Amino acid sequence: MNRKLQFRVSFSALAMLLVAAIFLAACGAPAAPPPQAPQVVKETVVVPQTVVAQQTVVAEKTVVVPQTVVAQQTVVVEPTAAPNPEAVIPNVEPNAEITLWTFWLSPTFDDYIKSTIARFQKAYPGVKVNWEDHQATFQDDLKNAFAAGKAPDVINLSVSEGWVSDYATKGLLLPLDDKVSQDVKDLYFPGLWNEQLVDGKNYQFPWYQGLSVELVNMKIYSDTAGLKLEDFPKTVDGLPALCKTIKEKTGTLCDIRLTTNDLLSQMVYEGGVKVISEDGKTFTFDSPEGVAWLQMYVDMVKAGTVDKSVLVTDQDRVGLDLFSSGNAAFYQTGPNLIREVRANNPGLYGYLAAVPAPVGKSGVLGKGLMSLSVKNDTKFPNASLALAQFFTNPQSMLEFSKQVAIYPSTPKSYEDPFFAAKPIAIEDSAKPIAKDIISKYADIVPTIPHKADVNDIVLQAVQAALFNNVPAQQALTDAVTKANALLAQ
Amino acid sequence: MTKKLNLTPYLFLAPALLVIGVFILYPIFAVVYYSFTDFNIVTPPVWTGLKNYTQLFQDDVFWLALRNSFIYLLVTPILIILCILLAIAVNRKLPGINAFRAIYYVPVISGSIAVGYAWRMLFDTNGLINGVLLSAGLLQEPIQWLAEPALTLPLAMSLTIWLGLGFYMMIFLAGLQNIPEELYDAALIDGCNAFQKHWNVSLPGLRPQIVFVAVISSLAAIEVFNEIYTLTGGLGGILNSGVTMVFYLWKQAFRLQHAGYASALAIVLLVITLLFSVFNIRSLERGSEQD
Repeated sequence: MNRKLQFRVSFSALAMLLVAAIFLAACGAPAAPPPQAPQVVKETVVVPQTVVAQQTVVAEKTVVVPQTVVAQQTVVVEPTAAPNPEAVIPNVEPNAEITLWTFWLSPTFDDYIKSTIARFQKAYPGVKVNWEDHQATFQDDLKNAFAAGKAPDVINLSVSEGWVSDYATKGLLLPLDDKVSQDVKDLYFPGLWNEQLVDGKNYQFPWYQGLSVELVNMKIYSDTAGLKLEDFPKTVDGLPALCKTIKEKTGTLCDIRLTTNDLLSQMVYEGGVKVISEDGKTFTFDSPEGVAWLQMYVDMVKAGTVDKSVLVTDQDRVGLDLFSSGNAAFYQTGPNLIREVRANNPGLYGYLAAVPAPVGKSGVLGKGLMSLSVKNDTKFPNASLALAQFFTNPQSMLEFSKQVAIYPSTPKSYEDPFFAAKPIAIEDSAKPIAKDIISKYADIVPTIPHKADVNDIVLQAVQAALFNNVPAQQALTDAVTKANALLAQ
Repeated sequence: MTKKLNLTPYLFLAPALLVIGVFILYPIFAVVYYSFTDFNIVTPPVWTGLKNYTQLFQDDVFWLALRNSFIYLLVTPILIILCILLAIAVNRKLPGINAFRAIYYVPVISGSIAVGYAWRMLFDTNGLINGVLLSAGLLQEPIQWLAEPALTLPLAMSLTIWLGLGFYMMIFLAGLQNIPEELYDAALIDGCNAFQKHWNVSLPGLRPQIVFVAVISSLAAIEVFNEIYTLTGGLGGILNSGVTMVFYLWKQAFRLQHAGYASALAIVLLVITLLFSVFNIRSLERGSEQD
């Protein structure tokens, strides 16, 4: 063989051997110790004079001194790290990598979410969290993700829109009651923990809560219509008379929205209607209470005192935009959305007032807003439970409340002086009474089979009564017949 | 002598065939399969046989959607007439005529969703339309345009016409420019006025374009979705007044999570569209043969 070629072959072989050696050395490096390895790595014992002692040094050596010992040794004890008080879920999988999806929180709350994740990772070292925020397409994205087997481990679901029971009834969420200790459950308001139950089981950690208030445009309500804020109706059945007065005095229509994707729920809270029999085999929303509830809205439409397109829209923003444009006297929403009014119409902000939202015949002020659930087939159940619980623990929720006008679902958070401080801006006006209201939240709607289909049937019936002169009783009775046919399938 | 198989053309076709296979053929076969199942997207489908089809033919909303879709076909003759008139109007050698042609084309490139939301704001109770009509004294009280069942379909059809004007106008304009000038000269010599000139020369000369526009605009009308969705806020209008076939299909699949039933709707829509297209083309071609 040619000398030059020989040299090249030998050199290449040596170079490859060197690279392989370096590679093996790197891979052969010992793995990092597990997060909670045994403690006491170094210990040096000081014995000033005569010592008759038997000492056991953990992890190093055992020193037995039977007689007189003159020795001098220095003791340095590294204290055992105390467990993180926020790490309440045990047996979190080491090196877990989990995904969190939130609903419409980015970019406004990017810093809050990232800092909470960083704090979580300190409490549960070794767990990696991938965060994604989804907005208008959240539901479609989530359904596609479930269909593709790539759903996130921890999911932000809306309790008020009924998403938790939607997914839980399909077996897609992890039931929490036997996965979480009683101490953890006791961190939350009981009414919020026991929401959206499916067959008596809970599938969600209650997250941030909202309060319903009536935002009032004082320019229309007080200056033009001459009404007093303290006379704003305390109950829902006072709204028709108010709308009539406002229409007569100002010419503006009321900005009231039906919850079109969950009318049964609205019937229960506002009308005190029993929507389904105890055995769950027959729908009963065509009762006198149901008819009375529907008739109230029919009368308002006939009197021409409500904006019809807002009444039946399924998008809260439509109603909020009407109010923000300064063309409505009041609108029911959460204080956290006052920032939208301020952004869209700064001139209106100075005319805003807020009063508690009217209560329905059920007497229950409302139900929860948002929650965090864990998907049923997650590879890291304990890590996922830990993340969901961490975001909903008192400390995390207190910090969130300081950023925006939402309220914690944990009683302990309200002990902070933040909630006792006198409100300055209208966004904070509900702070002093928030705990009292939220502690009374309860989900009083029973589990509804074929919920989406039944709600669609009810929506058609409501529209027929509102806009097609079908008597309310007939519309609801026809709807009950169709809904019962679904149960029979 | 055996013929040697030449693989080269197939290799050139392979990428396109792969794309067609994955994005067109596979979804069609999947939809046919799902139409015989109960499928809610998030859990695996369950075979139910013909249940979706029997349910479909007993569904009042399906027949309402079919009716609305056929009513929507009225945009086709309106578009043909308006676009021919526009094409005749801009087919002149006037200074700045190109600017007019461009202005008429702007809605085509504006995007139906953006335009739909803009129209929704225009026709809002407190929108510009009511504002102008109230200021002019033509209204005493604002009309809630988008909350009137009788107005949902006409508003959506108007939006479709407005969006399509520029596109079909360009097609007719190109057709007009292909008609020999001598035919118009001959018509002038024969004493035709402007109307007779266009009736006897332009229209027959535009027959191929009319057939083309009739077919594609009627298919687009049957398959309308964007205009209904944006104007009705995704609800299909009060009392389903704006629900069309594709909208109902979307609602069943993605709102109510009945993807199996929606697949059955899609198959029925496919058959209707095919029959309609064949009928459309045959009758228009028969008309040109008789000429």
